[in-house]
Amino acid sequence: MKALACALMLIGLLMAPAAVVAAPITAELSTDRVEISTGFTGASVLVFGATQNPLSGESAEDLIIVATGPTQGVVVRRKINVLGIWLNGPSTRFPEVPGFYALAATRRVWEILPEEERRQYRLGFDNLRLRSEDNRNPSFRAALLELKQNDGRWQEYAAPVSRAGERLFSARIAFPATVQTGDYQIEVLLARENRVIARQELSLRVERVGTAADIASLARGQPLLYGLLCIVLAALAGWLGSVLFRRN
Amino acid sequence: MQVYLPIAEMSVDALLLLGIGFGVGWLSGLFGVGGGFLLTPLLMLIGIPSAVAVASAANQTLGASISGLIAQWRRGNVDWRMGLTLFAGGLLGSALGVQIFALLKRWGQVDVAVSLFYVVILGIVGALMVRESVTALLRRRRGAAPRRKLHEHTWLHGLPYKMRFRDSRLYISVIPPLAIGFGIGLLSAIMGVGGGFMLVPAMIYILGMPTAIVIGTSLFQVVFVSANVTLLQAWQVGSVDIVLTLLLLAGGVAGAQFGAAMGTKLRGEETRALLGLLVLSVAFGLAWNLVQTPSRAFTLGPLS
Repeated sequence: MKALACALMLIGLLMAPAAVVAAPITAELSTDRVEISTGFTGASVLVFGATQNPLSGESAEDLIIVATGPTQGVVVRRKINVLGIWLNGPSTRFPEVPGFYALAATRRVWEILPEEERRQYRLGFDNLRLRSEDNRNPSFRAALLELKQNDGRWQEYAAPVSRAGERLFSARIAFPATVQTGDYQIEVLLARENRVIARQELSLRVERVGTAADIASLARGQPLLYGLLCIVLAALAGWLGSVLFRRN
Repeated sequence: MQVYLPIAEMSVDALLLLGIGFGVGWLSGLFGVGGGFLLTPLLMLIGIPSAVAVASAANQTLGASISGLIAQWRRGNVDWRMGLTLFAGGLLGSALGVQIFALLKRWGQVDVAVSLFYVVILGIVGALMVRESVTALLRRRRGAAPRRKLHEHTWLHGLPYKMRFRDSRLYISVIPPLAIGFGIGLLSAIMGVGGGFMLVPAMIYILGMPTAIVIGTSLFQVVFVSANVTLLQAWQVGSVDIVLTLLLLAGGVAGAQFGAAMGTKLRGEETRALLGLLVLSVAFGLAWNLVQTPSRAFTLGPLS
């Protein structure tokens, strides 16, 4: 259904004469909700839209799509060897880093925009504001970048911005199974001659639904009741099993 | 088939979890231990956060042991009095253990601490079990029928507050069972195990209980201590994942029945030697992981 709706919208955008597209850029998401259910294995959201001027050919316009998730605090710990055993040694706390970050663009952002602009819109890993609390050692920042990229929660040019026809564009944002819940911002920027000429902000909500949501909220809201429930359920399952599988 | 674990906040292959549950359940039925000592390291190995692995393994141990407890109870192999005495100690021990666990989590040392505990405890217990059972096997092979006393009299028997445990044919002080229960409760909270693999030898060698009654009584203690650990972990650490637990159990209960059927065909010494070897190999595996240069020098954790 969603795919069909997207296709219809794309066709609508395609058919619309250029003059009707008032804004230099119009973008939409394939869905504004990502639902984490018991069978959740990650999700992919399509950002699509149209620009007023042709993207390809002689045009010097570029598109940048950046998605950011709710901020979270993380600790990066370095392993040290004590008496032959590896344990967590010095650590650095990053109180506010985006839980999710994905960047897609028609070209590398440094080819599109100067540094101030990139910094302002937080384009690229280099321009993420990763303020650390204590240790100033840059290796922790590098490690944070590497670890976040490894689990797919921070992506740079992971998927291309693909163009269809002259004015249509689309890009996929992949959310890994470990994605956190909350509100996500997706910014679509149109750049020309070293500056951003138009931007549109879209939002997306990632939330747990169904059993997974009920379990998580019960565990958080009423941990004592949840604990009792876990005991009863485990005991019942165990007892039921002994009845079902009794051999003799 | 992927399934999303709401507390671990990740998705895992459900068949893998069922398989792990079955394997561990089979061993648990065979040896009369909960199998938590295998389960926790296995869960950590497939990437479950150690806090969730420990808490959910304790929860699964409860379910897996209850079928064993029912089976043993039917055969009249449970010394309720001894079980309750052990549990009284276990209650205190597990309460303290969960506090220590929460503290370790705050320091970011849960993984190392859990592994270290495993290596030390499993190493000692495994070595003792293998040594004892090999000695017993050799003695039997030599044909010299050993004249076994019911149990050795040690300084433990000089302690006060003596109590009669009729089913165990013992008249001993309540202090050793209380202390054993406490120690095992403590370790069970930190390691996510029921503690059967430590309890069984402790009951045989320290308390001198008859082997027939040991497994049923240890299951009694395991069931109630792991229930307590589940409750406290859910309440104070918030790391029990019921979806994970139930998947492991579904495999586990099936496996346990097959294991139990096979266990009755094995002789005591052989069972103990096998269990000892298994315990030792898990200890070696974990020790190797601790000393091996990690593939990544840095780890990422949430800021609490």
